Amino acid sequence: MDISRKWLSDYVKLDCDDACLCDKLTMAGIEVEKVEKSSTVPAGVVTAKILSREVHPQSDHLSVCRVTDGKEELQIVCGAPNCDAGMIVPLAKIGTVFHTDEGDFKIKRSKLRGVESFGMMCSEKELGISENNDGLMIFPADTALGVEVVSLYPGDTRIELEITPNRPDCLSMWGVARDVSCLLSTPAQLPEIGIPECDIPVDDLVTVENMELCPRYIGRVIENVKIGPSPDWLKERLESVGLRSINNVVDVTNFVMLELGQPLHAFDRDTLTGKRVVVRNARAGETITLLDGKVVELQPEHLVIADAVKPMALAGIMGGENSGVTEKTVNILLESAVFKSSHIRSESRRLGISTDASYRYERGVDFDMAELASIRACQLILATAGGVIASKAMEVSAPRPAEPVIRCRFARIRALIGTTVSNERIVDILQKLHLKVTDITAESCVVTAPLFRLDLTREADLAEEVARIDGLDKIPMIPVAGKVCHPDSEDAYAPLRNLRDLVIGMGFDECVHYSIVGSASALVDSRFEKNDLIELSNPLSPDNGWMRPGLLGEMLGTVGRNIARGNRDLRLFELDKAFCKNPEKFPEERNELLILLTGKRHPEQFSADGEKLYDFYDIKGVVETLLDKLAITNFRFVIPEKADGRFRNGYALELQLEGKTAGMFGELSPQHAASWRSSAPVFFAQLEAAALIAAAGHVKKSCKELAQFPGTARDIAFIAPENLASGEVIDFIRKCKAPNFESVRLFDIFVGDELKKQHKKSMAYSLSFRNRERTLTDNEVNAAMEKIRKRLEAELKVELR
Amino acid sequence: MNEIIEAVNRAAGDAESKAAVAVDAAALEALRIEYLGRNGLFPELSKKMGSVPPEERKATGTAFNTGRTRIQAALDAAHARIGQGDKTDKEAIDLTLPGRRTAAGHRHPITQLADECVSVFRRMGFVAVDGPEIEDIYHNFDALNTPDDHPSRDPKDTFYFPDGRILRSQTSPVQIRVMETHEPPVRIVAPGRVFRRDTPDATHGMNFHQIEGLYIDKDVSMADLKSVLQNFAWEMFGKDVKIRLRPHFFPFTEPSVEYDFSCVVCGGKGCNVCKNSGYIEIAGAGMVDPNVLKNVGYDPEIWSGYAFGLGLERLAMLRYRIPDLRFLYDNDVRFLEQF
Repeated sequence: MDISRKWLSDYVKLDCDDACLCDKLTMAGIEVEKVEKSSTVPAGVVTAKILSREVHPQSDHLSVCRVTDGKEELQIVCGAPNCDAGMIVPLAKIGTVFHTDEGDFKIKRSKLRGVESFGMMCSEKELGISENNDGLMIFPADTALGVEVVSLYPGDTRIELEITPNRPDCLSMWGVARDVSCLLSTPAQLPEIGIPECDIPVDDLVTVENMELCPRYIGRVIENVKIGPSPDWLKERLESVGLRSINNVVDVTNFVMLELGQPLHAFDRDTLTGKRVVVRNARAGETITLLDGKVVELQPEHLVIADAVKPMALAGIMGGENSGVTEKTVNILLESAVFKSSHIRSESRRLGISTDASYRYERGVDFDMAELASIRACQLILATAGGVIASKAMEVSAPRPAEPVIRCRFARIRALIGTTVSNERIVDILQKLHLKVTDITAESCVVTAPLFRLDLTREADLAEEVARIDGLDKIPMIPVAGKVCHPDSEDAYAPLRNLRDLVIGMGFDECVHYSIVGSASALVDSRFEKNDLIELSNPLSPDNGWMRPGLLGEMLGTVGRNIARGNRDLRLFELDKAFCKNPEKFPEERNELLILLTGKRHPEQFSADGEKLYDFYDIKGVVETLLDKLAITNFRFVIPEKADGRFRNGYALELQLEGKTAGMFGELSPQHAASWRSSAPVFFAQLEAAALIAAAGHVKKSCKELAQFPGTARDIAFIAPENLASGEVIDFIRKCKAPNFESVRLFDIFVGDELKKQHKKSMAYSLSFRNRERTLTDNEVNAAMEKIRKRLEAELKVELR
Repeated sequence: MNEIIEAVNRAAGDAESKAAVAVDAAALEALRIEYLGRNGLFPELSKKMGSVPPEERKATGTAFNTGRTRIQAALDAAHARIGQGDKTDKEAIDLTLPGRRTAAGHRHPITQLADECVSVFRRMGFVAVDGPEIEDIYHNFDALNTPDDHPSRDPKDTFYFPDGRILRSQTSPVQIRVMETHEPPVRIVAPGRVFRRDTPDATHGMNFHQIEGLYIDKDVSMADLKSVLQNFAWEMFGKDVKIRLRPHFFPFTEPSVEYDFSCVVCGGKGCNVCKNSGYIEIAGAGMVDPNVLKNVGYDPEIWSGYAFGLGLERLAMLRYRIPDLRFLYDNDVRFLEQF
């Protein structure tokens, strides 16, 4: 809401400058958004006296004057016709800067037709004080010299306030003045409000059929008004906060709304069928054309102000096209009403219409203000448009709501705010806010909140009033007590952070994507079908309405984007939530870890080293290292039973933890990378964070004694069928359970031309044997080796070398 | 003692004598090749291992090892005597070639700020908890004392699902979930993603990240809140940062405040980041509204506390002077690798 400093000072004396006023408002919770000064008199323009005037030797139109500002005497060349000795005028001295629409304009020492001039004398228009440009502005003869003209014509300041939804009482000058008076400790005063008494009843003038939505309606009749332009003071007030003047009666209703916060509507009574109003729900099929020309088809839930026949206004929102005051209007029915705030809010939202009136109604107007505002508007209509009051207040009203009575315990207020604010100060603040304070004891008082303070119902609300008026800067700094209230095991963030740290530690860049995605991106993850996706009811756009079921889709978008920009060597990961509707597949929300790499393994290197691309064993190594770092040992890599559309066929492994799938890794199916300008294969691992965290949590680390006796190594080499997997050989050797067997490691695979033809390959393993109690003899080891060799030969059909 | 052992011992003795009189590194290298080289005497002798009877194998092996060690020791001693000679010059490397690097890995700026905030608050005794992003109306609005017709409930501003649930519009529902399952005292922070129905632009996105704080105990006051926030400001932006509380309004706190940091760019003098006000709005806070406490079954006469929330994108943008929010969701590695 906009306020004008000048207007505000009609109600409260403002003994502080704009900056101070704005700071006080902001620090009291009425935040100043913007400050705009209307005065254009620049600094440097001072009052000065013309000592003498002579005609310019080269021009009849110019004068050469001697001018003093009380400190120095200057020669000024002037073109104004009214320029004469003895006048006190505004003088813009050298260096003064005028801000004009065409840009800044600086007064310089200059020569006019050969005569030097040391400044400029100004007209009212040149100073932005009025439109008068007939000649120099003239001050009264007793005006002091050398005074900054801006201090004589300060203009006005327009201040834009952000009023929080709990403070509808501040949506008026008077409301803001109430708070300002409390902040500045100066009384706020309304002007004299009153009208000639009139006790003529007008039967049936006002009928209210729906008291729930319209708990109060006051109608007054004013006859024989003369519609015309508003007086200057009224125009100036409205324009000072950005409203356009329309005519005297409409301007008065707007003025009173801005002054007191009560929306008003003036009907042309002669346009009302039956010359009366009925507040009722609309009937099916009724329509109304609003003031702005918009036609609304009314529904029974709409509340309207109707005449005897048809709707004339949308209650609390906007008048109808034919209901308002025009230049022909003679008789007025003035409405001052209270409508239920939630009704106006939902109506305004549904219709997409927001007006100054609806804005105030939907936040809540003061039940008590309707009467005063009605009288105030009548007073000003009589003053600006003439006419006579032709009825008493015709009022239909529900019982006045009870004012909340709140017990205010001083100790409790202090405990909540954390300051030592005294009992007296608390009472003082509450009273200055126009609240009724009674039953003051050493411990507490009783506060009755007026109906304009709808936000005050509880002790905590009073604490806020005391805190904001006393000043939040009074709240002291105290030592921070780092109390432990929860065990570490409740920390949900630490395990995820640990996982993230490990992956970053392996050299991956973390990505963050939006989790609302398009269905194409969502279904890149072929584990999911459309039925598994959680769909939004109101997406921003129809093609962007699904919660991502996995992180792959958006990650591939990022990879494609990076490659298109020439970033081809990528090590990326994301750890975040994924969503699934199908509980047989996944819980609704879970954390997924997606790790991806593509491009050159060592882009910083050169020659052959620099050209090497990542391969399957890089992503496998990442997963193995991650498991190692998490100390998870009871995992299994399983060759997936069926093809997975995400992966290149035959290039994927499944990670199993505690017998359950915990992720997959391998090479991205080339179809997903088809459009990228990169031939490097892409590898990724998709892992379930919860499974990793759980498995790591189950690890019980215990120290194993280091072997004291030397181990013995033996190598074994054989020709095997080319499809014999190394993992199978290793599992087989382990399962032989040869005495003192410790470990086995592949150290060579060789496929020569000759072997290739026979569909065979050469494999070589190094086996280690060790006994914890003694050094093994050759014989023992040889016997063990022999057993393994025989079984390999017989069961895996290999040819030993 | 078999003849292989004898041959090994003899060779070792010969090598020792020759090493003792070698005059330069070349001579030593020749010696090494003669005895230990691929086609040298030792590998030659070891080929005969196969013919050694099993009971002598161990002794033979030991002799091989001892012999090899003796020769190596003699060569080392001779090297030491002669000095390094011109070896370094001959095998000089280009020290300016690139090192073989381990990929560095970078934390996303939003996560960096989340991690930092969690650490700072953790030191002050707050534990970090999590809550669902698909949330119900009760936890996101009703329990937080939000009026039924509050604009934030509008489908224009909040994402809805067909079952009536929503994407949480704030991290505050985590407060409710924690209080529902814990007896006071409670001291938590909840970092996480929140959703608003905003079209992405330089300062908006479909979602952003918040961190929520909540402390409920006996005798908690706004002074506790202010001190915790001031401490947080110091930890995040250094000792010169001041905080300012301004009264404000939120449905779930009373009294409510917004808190500002003195501008971390200009130090409070006024600049375009703080719009010449000297302060930057960081987020909202306040004393938990008695209605919220009642909703979770806490007695507001016994328990009081504060809550606060702040936006991580905003902090990241301030900290790293990121001009456009969309950079944070674009994931260009040239951007990610700066952090």
